[in-house]
Amino acid sequence: MKTSKKSRIEIVLLLLPGLLVFGIFTVYPIIKLFIMSFFQWDFGSMFGQSFIGLENYREVIQDKYFQTAFVNSLIYTLVTVPGQMILGLLIALLLNKIARFKVGYRVLYYLPVITSWVVASLIFKYVFNTEGLLNYFLTNVIHITIQNVHWLDTRWGGGLAVAMLLGIWKGIGWNMVVFLAALQTVPNDLYEAASIDGAGAINKFFHVTLPSIRGTILFALVMLTIGGFNVFTSTKMITGGEPGHQTDVILTWMYYKAFSTGAFGYSAALSFITTIVLACLALIQFKMMRQEDK
Amino acid sequence: MKKKTGIQIILHMLLIAGLSIVVLPMVYMVSTSLKPNGALYEYPPKFLPALEEITLENYSYILGEGKFYINFLNSVFVSTLSVLLAAVIASALGYVIARFEFPGKKFLFSFIILTMIIPGMTLIIPQYELAVKLNTINSLVGLIPFYVAWTIPYSTFMIKGFVENIPRELDEAIYMDGGSVFTVFAKIILPLAKPGIASVSIFNFLTAWEEFPWANTVINDNLKRTLPIAISGFFGQHQFTQWGYVFALSVFSLLPILLVFIFCQKFFVEGLTTGSVKG
Repeated sequence: MKTSKKSRIEIVLLLLPGLLVFGIFTVYPIIKLFIMSFFQWDFGSMFGQSFIGLENYREVIQDKYFQTAFVNSLIYTLVTVPGQMILGLLIALLLNKIARFKVGYRVLYYLPVITSWVVASLIFKYVFNTEGLLNYFLTNVIHITIQNVHWLDTRWGGGLAVAMLLGIWKGIGWNMVVFLAALQTVPNDLYEAASIDGAGAINKFFHVTLPSIRGTILFALVMLTIGGFNVFTSTKMITGGEPGHQTDVILTWMYYKAFSTGAFGYSAALSFITTIVLACLALIQFKMMRQEDK
Repeated sequence: MKKKTGIQIILHMLLIAGLSIVVLPMVYMVSTSLKPNGALYEYPPKFLPALEEITLENYSYILGEGKFYINFLNSVFVSTLSVLLAAVIASALGYVIARFEFPGKKFLFSFIILTMIIPGMTLIIPQYELAVKLNTINSLVGLIPFYVAWTIPYSTFMIKGFVENIPRELDEAIYMDGGSVFTVFAKIILPLAKPGIASVSIFNFLTAWEEFPWANTVINDNLKRTLPIAISGFFGQHQFTQWGYVFALSVFSLLPILLVFIFCQKFFVEGLTTGSVKG
C-alpha cells in the first residue's frame, strides 16, 4: 500500500468530486429534511418558520388521509412483491428447462421492465378506462359484466388494484432474470442425488431448488420491498389519488401535501417516518440474510 | 427421447401463453399509435386497427407540428451527461474505497449503502429548496447534478465490487514502474472495470431517461421538458386526451432504450445479477 504524500493527495482528489456531489445533493437534503420536520415550514414563506417540536409527526400519524395512504402502500407492497416474485420464479424455472430460444424469451419478458413508468401507467390507464378496451371486452364480447365497470373510480375495485397489476406486470422480468441466474448456480449433483432418493419434481423444487436460492430470494425481497414503498408515478398517473385521496400511496400523498398545499414541514415529517419504516424493514431482512450465511 | 420433446413442447407452450399476456399491453400501445386519431373515440374500441386504417399521422404530428423532437433532444442531453459524469465520479469513488484505507472509510461506505434504502422521492422537498437556492429551477443542466447524485450509491457499490475482482498485482506492477495512484486508475482500473462500468451506466441511463417526479416538479417550460414530462403533459391540456399522440410519443421514447437493451444484453444481465447471487 502506497501512502506517500503524493498518493494521499491523489486519493483525496479522486474522492473529492463524488463527496461534493453526494454531500450537496444527497447528504445536505437528508439533514435539511430532518430539521424541517420539526418546524412549522410552509412553502412560500421561506423565512419565519417556527420550531414546533414533534407537532408535525403527531399531525402526520393522526391524519386519516396519511393512514389510508400508508395502508395502501402496505397492501401494494404485500401484494406486488410476492406476486412478481412467484411469477418471475415460475418463468425462470421454465426457461431453465428449455433447450432453445432462451435469450429470445428473456428479452421479450423483460420488455415491461424497460418501459418507463409514465408510459406503462398510461397504457394501463387507457386499457382500464371506463369506455376502454377491457370493459368493451367484458361487457360486449364475453358478457361477464352487464355494464361498464368504473375501474379507476373506486379504492378497492379500481385505482389501487390497477396500480398493483401494473406493478406486478412491470416487475416479472426483473425477477425472472435474477432467479434464472440463481437457478443456474444450483449444482446438478444435488438434483441427481435427490433423484436417486426417489424425489419427484415437486419434492426437488421444495427441498433442493428453494433452499439453494434462498440468498437470492432474500435479496429480491429487500429490493422489492423498497421498490414497493417507492411507488409514485403509477398512482399519480393512473388515479392521481382520486377519488378523495382514497387511492393515494405514501409518496403521492406526501407530494400533494408539499406541492399542492405547501405544507413542507408536515411532508418532511412524513418522509422521515417512511424512511425509518423502510430502514427497519430492510434491517430485519438483512439480519435474516446474515443468518442464512451462517 | 420422445418424451423429452413432448415436455419441451409443453414448456414452450406455457412460456408463449405467459408471454402473450405480458406483451399484450405493449402491442396495444403500438397498435393505438398507428390508428387514425379520429378513430380513438369511436365505439367499439378495437385491439388492432384494420389494415387499410394504419397510418403514421400520429408520428408525423409528433415529429413535425408537435415539435417533440426538442423534448427528445433534451432527454438525450440530460441522460448522456448524467451517465458520463456518474461513470467517472463513481469509478473514482469505487476505486479508492476498494483499494485504499482512509479515516472514515467504513462510515462513508455504510452511509452510501444506507442512502440506497431511502426512497429518492422523500428528499424532494429539501432538494426543491436547494434547487431554488441554486437557481436551477426550470434549467435542464440543473437536473444533471441531482441525477448524478441519485445514481452514485448504486454505481459506487457495483464498481467497488468490480474493482475488487481486479488482481492487486497489476497495481503493484504500475507502482514498480514509478506510476502513481492516478496512473493505476487510468491504466488498470478503468480499462479492466469497463464491463462493470458499462452495465452500471446502462442502468443509470435508464434511470435518467425515464425520471419523472423530479423533472416534473422543477421544469415548467414546454421547450425544456424531458420526454416523460412531455408525454404526461398531454393530460389536462386538451379536453380529450389525444391517445394516438400519447402512444406515438411513448413508442418514440422507448426506441433508444430498446436499442441499448438489444445491443447490450450481456451488460444488462451482468448488472442485474451481480450481487443477487452469492458466488
